[in-house]
Amino acid sequence: MFSFKWGFRFMQKEFLSLPSRIIIALFVIGLILLPLFTQDPYILRIFTLACIFAIFAASWDFLAGYVGQISFGHALFFGIGAYSTAILNLRLDLPHWMTIVLGAVVAVVAGLLVGFPALRLKGPYLGLVTLAFPVMLTGIIFLFPDFTGGELGISGIARLASTRQQEYYIAVIVMITLITVLWKITVSKYGIIFHAIREDEIAVRASGINTVRYKLTAFCLSGFYAGVAGGLYAHYLRIAGPGLLDILMSFQVIIWTILGGIATIYGPVVGVFVLYPLLEYMRVVPQYRMLLFTIIVLLLVHFMPEGIANWVRDMLEKECPRCKERNVFTRRECRYCYAQIATKK
Amino acid sequence: MIENILVRGLLNSCVYAMIAIGFSLIFGVARIINLSHTAFYMVAAYGIFLFNVQAGFDPILSIVLSILVVSALGVLSYRYLIDPVRERETSTLIVTIAIALMMQEIIFILFGGHYRGAVALISGHTTLIGVRVTNQYILTLAVVMTALIIVWYLLMKTRLGIAIRAAAQDREIANLMGVDVRKVAIHTMTIAVVLAALAGAMVAPIYVLEPHMWINPLVIILAIVILGGLGSIKGTFISAFILGFTEVLVVIFIPGGAFLKVTFALALMVIILLIRPEGLFGVFLEGER
Amino acid sequence: MFRHRWSILSLLILVICILLLVATGCDDSPVDVDEVDEGEEANFLKVGIVGPMGFVQGDHSWYGAELAKEEINAAGGINVGDKNYMIQTVMVDTNELQSVDDAVSAVERAIAVDDVDLFIGGFRTEAVLPMTEVAVDNNKIFMIAGAADRSLLEGRVDVDYDRYKYLFRIAPPNNIELVTLSFILLNEVANSVRAELGIDTPRVAILMEMLTWNEPLVQIAQQQIPAMGMEVVGVWRPSATATDISTELTEIQSQGAHIIYMANSGPVAITYGRQWGELEIPACSVGLSVENQKAGYLEATGGYGEYDMSLNTYGRAAATEKSIPFWDTFMETYDDTPSHSAGTYDALYLIKDAIENIGTIDSEALAEEIANADYEGALGRVVFDEVHDVTWGPGFVTGFSNQWQDGELVAVWPYEWSPAEGVEITYQGAVPYKIPPRVIDYWKDR
Repeated sequence: MFSFKWGFRFMQKEFLSLPSRIIIALFVIGLILLPLFTQDPYILRIFTLACIFAIFAASWDFLAGYVGQISFGHALFFGIGAYSTAILNLRLDLPHWMTIVLGAVVAVVAGLLVGFPALRLKGPYLGLVTLAFPVMLTGIIFLFPDFTGGELGISGIARLASTRQQEYYIAVIVMITLITVLWKITVSKYGIIFHAIREDEIAVRASGINTVRYKLTAFCLSGFYAGVAGGLYAHYLRIAGPGLLDILMSFQVIIWTILGGIATIYGPVVGVFVLYPLLEYMRVVPQYRMLLFTIIVLLLVHFMPEGIANWVRDMLEKECPRCKERNVFTRRECRYCYAQIATKK
Repeated sequence: MIENILVRGLLNSCVYAMIAIGFSLIFGVARIINLSHTAFYMVAAYGIFLFNVQAGFDPILSIVLSILVVSALGVLSYRYLIDPVRERETSTLIVTIAIALMMQEIIFILFGGHYRGAVALISGHTTLIGVRVTNQYILTLAVVMTALIIVWYLLMKTRLGIAIRAAAQDREIANLMGVDVRKVAIHTMTIAVVLAALAGAMVAPIYVLEPHMWINPLVIILAIVILGGLGSIKGTFISAFILGFTEVLVVIFIPGGAFLKVTFALALMVIILLIRPEGLFGVFLEGER
Repeated sequence: MFRHRWSILSLLILVICILLLVATGCDDSPVDVDEVDEGEEANFLKVGIVGPMGFVQGDHSWYGAELAKEEINAAGGINVGDKNYMIQTVMVDTNELQSVDDAVSAVERAIAVDDVDLFIGGFRTEAVLPMTEVAVDNNKIFMIAGAADRSLLEGRVDVDYDRYKYLFRIAPPNNIELVTLSFILLNEVANSVRAELGIDTPRVAILMEMLTWNEPLVQIAQQQIPAMGMEVVGVWRPSATATDISTELTEIQSQGAHIIYMANSGPVAITYGRQWGELEIPACSVGLSVENQKAGYLEATGGYGEYDMSLNTYGRAAATEKSIPFWDTFMETYDDTPSHSAGTYDALYLIKDAIENIGTIDSEALAEEIANADYEGALGRVVFDEVHDVTWGPGFVTGFSNQWQDGELVAVWPYEWSPAEGVEITYQGAVPYKIPPRVIDYWKDR
């Protein structure tokens, strides 16, 4: 069964048949092979940070896109992850992987703490209440400067790895693994339940599903992902400061995700990998780069309201009207059921 | 002590109320969380600085000019940027964030990140029931009170006000009753932006101007609006007073912890919302749960 | 429909290709310094000026460096035997007040794309830490001019010298010495109050923004002030971004304070200056205010900041013969008074001297040379201590204290300062400290 011929046919039928899959494969291969082409520490840094932020953005997408719990204060989990990682590393001198995982666990606890009030709150109320949490945490951080370093943050954290390439590979591998797992969750049976909660929570409850448990799980999982991202960030930049809890940090993740394509998991990755290097690229005009960025954001929202990922996918692929499978846009009949695919939208 | 709390609390609360009511109105009528609302307030404050301090115009003229400019900006941004994507909740989110960031950046390019201050309309200070208050503060209080009374009259007694309240209660039914909801939304946006601009113009000589001055008020305004119940004018007004006074109480009773005033106000909001998830005066609209 | 899609896609691919081309073009554009032939063509020393541009800290870093660059280049650049280096400044806009990762990327970019040889500047400690990590990763010298925290050097240079030997700080004196300095100033003001108002134990109100950098100040002040013959009436810690501190000020007045001892770096410094004057709080104001150091302070406070006094890195008084000319040139060129971030000026001159001494721009040799530097600059005599921090004290860098008098920022300290028995230091150009008239009026009759 695992013959060469089978492998070739599998590639041809399942993999090469859809442009979006080819793009994803090329993207993953490209990320892994990048250090072979360039050793430039600057480029490696941009992509390492992009990987970290991609995890962060995906965590927001899961919570907001799938479960519909739009949070305006997602930096809370990122910041808690970074701070706990930093404190664990400095005070207890634990190894990296352990501090990052433990930091993420602390972020899970924070997810539970935010999740409980969130159960009672609906729609905009939830979003606006979550906005308050990072601000409150900032106040608490300034209250205990001996422990948290106040506005100076916690520094002197161990480096993620000894060389830039190793750090890059850690970030890339963690990102690909975590995103794949999250994507698998969202396309599983549980993913459908999460999605249903967003669409109509009362109907889901009426079907005998314990929505409370699912919503809390969503908060925990999202907190875990954001916490991992925060932990990686702390070890990478070797500092965890109150800047991580800024409102702009929370807003940034919203911009990345929505422009990438909300409720897709791969959308936020696309958003980060397009927008983060773009913002970096605009350093050629340092004074105007944020202004240009906001203009690009407004244009993208106008022309690609579904997000970049979905827009590209709709450009390259068409849905078969009969069996709902996707086909490359050049095909005139479905590759599964041979139904005619309408040429006009 | 008591008189200090009263005077300061009143001032703090009224400025908050003025900005928050605009936000609340827009949410009610157009169902938009306008995260760029306080950015208009910032632009108005910088407008005073530009016209009065840099161009040397008369202060009153500067205030009028800056309110005009800001309301034009507000209406244009609503008409051409927000309204086209209004139906899509996620898009409005980033459009409003982008508008706010854009204004922040334009101000940064024009004025730099330096801390600025505008000249007070009337200088000096007065002793009010034993508390020293700067005259600009008293003027601000008077203007804000007047503005709030006018808005109340507008909302309660005029045809436009009834239309706004009807649209806020139920957009669809109001539409069926012959209210041009789109037009009402634009009128509401104008009123909201004028209120924010007026607040900005009045506090420009009191507060420090810098390109990120919109962020802190935004947090408090959002807290006030949801604490009062989204779309409820009465609720917004009352919760502005609750949070405004909370801040002042924290500053007075915990002198070493004055930096915690926002934290306390927000914590209070979260606790109240845990007890009443729809805010103090909010209503659960069945169709929108 | 197909054609439509194809055209959009091809357009998109075309745009991406153009962007990529431009990007690679940008990467290649800077001339590689080492490849320029000797002889007629000058070599360039590329200096990255690090800071949040558009904000006062970044701007002053840039101004100070530009001033030094113009002067040095006009005088023929840096002469090293048969070679001649012209200084080229590269603006590294870090945006550090908003985003730490942005700041670090900016430094990384300066090394990778702009090929910068060394860095000067850096203001926000939270961002300077990771920025200096990148610099030492690449064996680049990073001379801090702006961030005061001692931990930027201590615990790094002394622990892992081989890695961190490229780090230095020229300005301001570190946060521990700022404490000492501000106590000296408080004492000077207290002496004036004692002499002119006849109050033996002046009452001091501590008003400092709630941040970590001034935490030691608050702690020590509460113990030290009684020992200095004064009385503490209370501690107030507003937020660094507070827009109204009239409650605190009213409270301070009702406690009967004669002196307000402050340490503010955020926008609250403006709020403070304005409300202190407008509410006519009858207390002298002394301490550390970043905003007070700027020429725009009076305007920003609506004129109410008059008589406010703060320590500073520069002042219009002769610590050395370079001090007053630097102050005047800076004023003339940029219409602003130099703050501590303008330490880039002296940093560039110091580096020039070091390069001329050893005849190479090799980072490692240069770091060793700078560590042993003994340089007379506009801010005083610069000698680095064992962790490469600028040495503070009489005969070295002392700092200044400036007060707003009649709309001018004048140096009022060191004026008849006696750091030890029989020693008295007065920098030429310094004038006596003035107690605000309203304080005299208020307390004279009581």
